[in-house]
Parts: sequence; structure tokens; C-alpha cells
Amino acid sequence: MTSFVTATLIGVSLGAQYALLALGFTLIFGILGVVNFAHGGFYVLGGYAAYWFVSAAGLPYPLAVVLATLVTGILGYLFELLLIERLVDDHLATLMLTLGLYLMLSTGILITFGPESPLFEFPLNGTLRAGPFYFPIANLVVLAVCLLAILGVYALIFRTDLGRALRALADDRQVAAAQGLRPRLLFPLAFALACGLAGMTGALVTPILSLAPHVGDPVLATSFLIVILGGLGSIGGATVAAFLVGLVEAYSSVYLGGSKGALALFVLVLIILVVRPSGLFGRIAREA
Amino acid sequence: MRGPKTIRAGAIAAIVALAAIAPARAACEVKFGALGPLSGPAAQWGLAVKGAAEFVAAEENAAGGLQVGQEKCRVTVTAFDAKYNAEGAAAGANYFVSQGVRFVIGPVGSPEMTGVKPIAARNNLLVMGDSFAKNAIGPQWPLVFHSGPGPSGWAPSIVDVAKQTYGIKSVVIVAPNDQGGTDIASVDAEAYRRHGVEPAEEYYQRGTSNFAAIAARIIARNPDAVDTASSPPGDAGVIVKQLRQAGYKGVLGRLGGSGTEEIARVAGGMDVLQNFYWYENVVVDERLKALGERYRQLVGAERPENTLFYPFVAATRMVTKAIAKAGTATDTKAVAAALRTLPVDDPDFGQGLWIGQDFYGINQELSFPFGIGLIVDGKPRPIAKHEAATGK
Repeated sequence: MTSFVTATLIGVSLGAQYALLALGFTLIFGILGVVNFAHGGFYVLGGYAAYWFVSAAGLPYPLAVVLATLVTGILGYLFELLLIERLVDDHLATLMLTLGLYLMLSTGILITFGPESPLFEFPLNGTLRAGPFYFPIANLVVLAVCLLAILGVYALIFRTDLGRALRALADDRQVAAAQGLRPRLLFPLAFALACGLAGMTGALVTPILSLAPHVGDPVLATSFLIVILGGLGSIGGATVAAFLVGLVEAYSSVYLGGSKGALALFVLVLIILVVRPSGLFGRIAREA
Repeated sequence: MRGPKTIRAGAIAAIVALAAIAPARAACEVKFGALGPLSGPAAQWGLAVKGAAEFVAAEENAAGGLQVGQEKCRVTVTAFDAKYNAEGAAAGANYFVSQGVRFVIGPVGSPEMTGVKPIAARNNLLVMGDSFAKNAIGPQWPLVFHSGPGPSGWAPSIVDVAKQTYGIKSVVIVAPNDQGGTDIASVDAEAYRRHGVEPAEEYYQRGTSNFAAIAARIIARNPDAVDTASSPPGDAGVIVKQLRQAGYKGVLGRLGGSGTEEIARVAGGMDVLQNFYWYENVVVDERLKALGERYRQLVGAERPENTLFYPFVAATRMVTKAIAKAGTATDTKAVAAALRTLPVDDPDFGQGLWIGQDFYGINQELSFPFGIGLIVDGKPRPIAKHEAATGK
């Protein structure tokens, strides 16, 4: 019972982090039709930006997280406006562009900050305990912020005019444009939102795990897995799949170990995709 | 205004001039390839290898060059990021071959060693690497040397000290589930078992970034000690941090590659380690501190943080001595033959031994005195010097 509760807490915590990452990834695919290979790069950049604001600029950590979110969002906006926008319908070109951006981001960080992990700690230490159960306070704060951010994204997408416009573009760009919506204005905003989410996740998560130039590598793989499992472009699907992956990862690692646990997760994903090839929330979000 | 013909003639003249200079320089240049992870969680180890190769090259060049036959040759170093995997190391070895490199300093991990050996064998590269794989060196790879002993050499002595100091009776060894992890974990486990400490092995997928679930699994076993073995220092730091967050109060250890500073930094400071034992490549005494100062003077930067730097300095110097003794920088078989006959002696590290016959079947493993690190109740003790492992 102790192991089950512990695994559940870990799984929910992981799921919230994954959801925040996957939402950005699926937003970009759903609205722009672009697979953003630089997503992990924005995660790392968010971590390093927050680290710089805390250690070099001496700012308090919460402000550093806000600024890191803005920095990554602005960079994402400019990247979309100046580069992606020109080739937005060319899937191969955007793939290469985002992959190139990821390499530039990770190499730039490597050159600027060095390959070794800096000392970047979450400002709150300690662990909440109740008998055999525990939950690190830092994880609790991150979980709360992630859940708030997820609710914020939902409110933005489903309760605002901007969200309605973005969903309209995702549904049918030509019809939406004929109705007066301007993709050239809205696409950079969507890209900025997604990159800002990745940056915020990096700023929140790297101090509780570790910060190094390479830590974005698994982010892309995890985001991809979740978004495919949830259904490409589906915001609800990505959220559900993120928590599912987090929980399965936690249960399988606790009960089966790190090696078999990873295998169990991929076997489960494989089975789901065999049964539902378009993901859990299986509607074809976008024609290839 | 100059015409196109003038520019073309100038360009041709420049190329001819360069071509005339190039053979003269290349004829007396000894190229070393520094191979190891220069990015990722194991970057500290690769940077140590690169720093050591560059330092020894700078030493030789400052002394007028490396004596090869009748010539004094300039030593140059080309570094390649092997990314701590086999394909990266294989790509590095192929790159070195294309650049005319004959001597490889590194790699540092078992996956890298696995990747580099076939290419080294095909191209007669002399490799001075460090890997804790059970087949890191062997009679089938006569040009592959080991810069320092694996855990078979030093793990029993450290387990003995850890058992006496902390009274541990059980241990969980955590390592990646590839050859780099499983080989060392099994050798460590055997060392624990022989000393009456019951080992259990716990593996994770390389690339894992969150170890909370694995920490929970380890705690459920309630071990007296957790040993992070050959997990990269970055991973080991997160494992330690999350074990402590989960309430683990036992002893931590590391019978694997060095990286205590990095582990402590990622984990949140030396206080988090509390009770910790580890293998240290060397004991940094006054002589080795002076070596750090010389590095600053010759290379113009701070020496690499990781102490793997030191044994690789000694190992690279052994290679340069062998080249000088063999009188060739191209015939690596002759250099290897010279290397085997050289006494293990270094002005900074003292005397050592050639070992490896018992474990690997070939006596091509350098062994210098090593250190045993201990933190007891949060207080670091001076690194204890231990005589060179004999491999028996």
C-alpha cells in the first residue's frame, strides 16, 4: 500500500510536468502543423535563464521563473515570425529549422555555461511526511504551479477570443482566414505560448532535478510520446496522456525496476496505438 | 584596381607557398586524439581526458618538442565528443584516422570503449583508455591499454574500509542498464559479497532524468548503503538528492568513476551526502597541486575539476615516453612494445605497476597509488592514500 501511494504521488507529479511540456508541443502541431524539434531546447533555455536571473542578476526565484517564461516565449515568437512563418507549410523545412534551432540552443548553452551542472537549487527544501508517505515540498509547489498553468492554458484556449481564433486556425486554416483571422499574427503568438510553457517547465523542474545542457534531450522524446498517445494536436488528449504516462512510468519503475519499467511503458503505448492508431482521443487532428 | 588575373595568380602563389610549408610541419608532428564525453552528464570525465592530453602536449612543446628518432616533434591534440556512447566513440575513432591521428587518449566509458576498439584494431591505433568493462582490454586488442585499474583492482579495499567505518551489512548498487553499468555493478557486487555485505543490483535506463520512482524502490529494500557505482556524476547527484528527499538516511557510496564535487553540487551540497565513501583516482598532495599550477601556466586555464585528469596525465606521459623510446610516431605496434617494457614511473605520481594479467589476461593496465574518500557524519576526512592495486 505504501509503495502504491508513493508511486501515485510520483506519477501525478511527473504527469503534471509532462502535461505542461506536451501542451506546448501539441499546440504548435495542432495550430501550425509544425513538429517542434526545438521543444527540449526551450526547456533547457528556461532552466538556464532562471538560473542566470537568480545567480547573476540576484533576482528572487519566482520572478526568475516569470522572466524565463517571457524570454523563451519572446524567442519562440521571433523564431516563428522570422523563420518558421516563411516555410510554415513545408513540413520537412520546418522540421530541419526546429532541429537546427535545438542544436544551436544546446550548443550555445554549452559554450556559455559549460558542460557541468551549476548549483541551482529550489528555494524551498524539506519533505512533507505522514507516516510512511512523503512528498517533497518543492515537488508540491511545482505540481501546484503546473496545474495552475494547465488550467490557464485551458482558459486561454477555450474561454478567450484568442483561443477561439487559434482553435479555428487549427480546425481549418483557409476557412478561418476567409473569416478574417490572420495566421501571420496568430501563429507567432501560438509559438510563443508553447515555447513559454516549455521554458516555464524548465525553470520549475531543473532546480528539483538537475540543470545541464543535455537535459532537454529526453524532453523531446517524452513530449512526442505523450502527444502521439493522446492524439496529435489534441489538447485534452495530451493532458490525459501526460498523466497516464507519468503514472505508468512511476508504477512500472517502482514495481518492475528502471529497466523493465521503461519497457512496460513503451509496450503499453504500442498496444494503445495498435488498438487506436490516432491516439486516445482519436480524431485526425490534421491531414498529413 | 587589381584584375582577376592578378588575384588568381596571388591565390595560386599562396597555395603553392602553403603546400611547400605543410609537409615540413606535418613531417614532425605527433597527433594525439582526445576522446571522451565532452557534453552530457559524464562530461566531467571527457574534459579531464582532454585537459590531460593538452597538458602533456603543452609540456612536451614547452621543452622543445617530443623526441622521435632524430627529430623534435610538435605534439598536437584533436578532441572529439564521444557522448558516452559506442557510436560517438566509433565516429571519433574514424575521425581521428581521417586526421592522421595514431594515438588515442581516452575514451572513458565502457560503451565508448566498445565502440572504439574495432576501429582502433582495423587502423592500428594505440588506445590509452579508461573503462570499467570486464573486457575493456584483452589479448585480442594488443594496442589497447588501460590508464588505470578497474574496480577489480580497488573495490575490495574500499569495501573493507566502508564496512569498518559504517558497519554496513547490505547495499543496493544503482547503475545504468547498459554494459557501462552492468559490468561494474557486477564486479562491485562481488567485492561486497566477499566482504560479507549483501548486495542487490538496481538498474535504470540511461537518459533517465527523474529517479524518484527508483529511489522509492530502493528505500523499500531498506539497505544500509546505496552505491551509485558508475552512474554518471550528474545522474548520481539526482539519485542522491531524491533518495534523501524520500527519507533515506543510510550511507551512500560510489565504487565507480570519480565525481564527488559534481554529485554534491547536483544533490545540493556536501551536507546532503552526510555519510559517503568513494574511490578517488589519486590523492592530491602538494606535488599534484603544483601540477595544477603548471597546467594554468602552460594551458592558460584552470585544470579540469575532475580528478580523472591526474591519471590521464600520467598515462599520456607514458605514451610520449614510449614514442620517444620506440623512435617512431607512426608504427604503433613498436610504440606499444616499448610501452609494455617501460617501468611505471612518473615525476608527479611516483612509481606504479603494470597489472591486468589476472583479470583481463593481459598486463596492460597502469596502476598507481589511489585514494579512498570518506565523509563521516557530514565531516569530510582527508583522502586516504592506498598503495597501487596489484590486480590480485
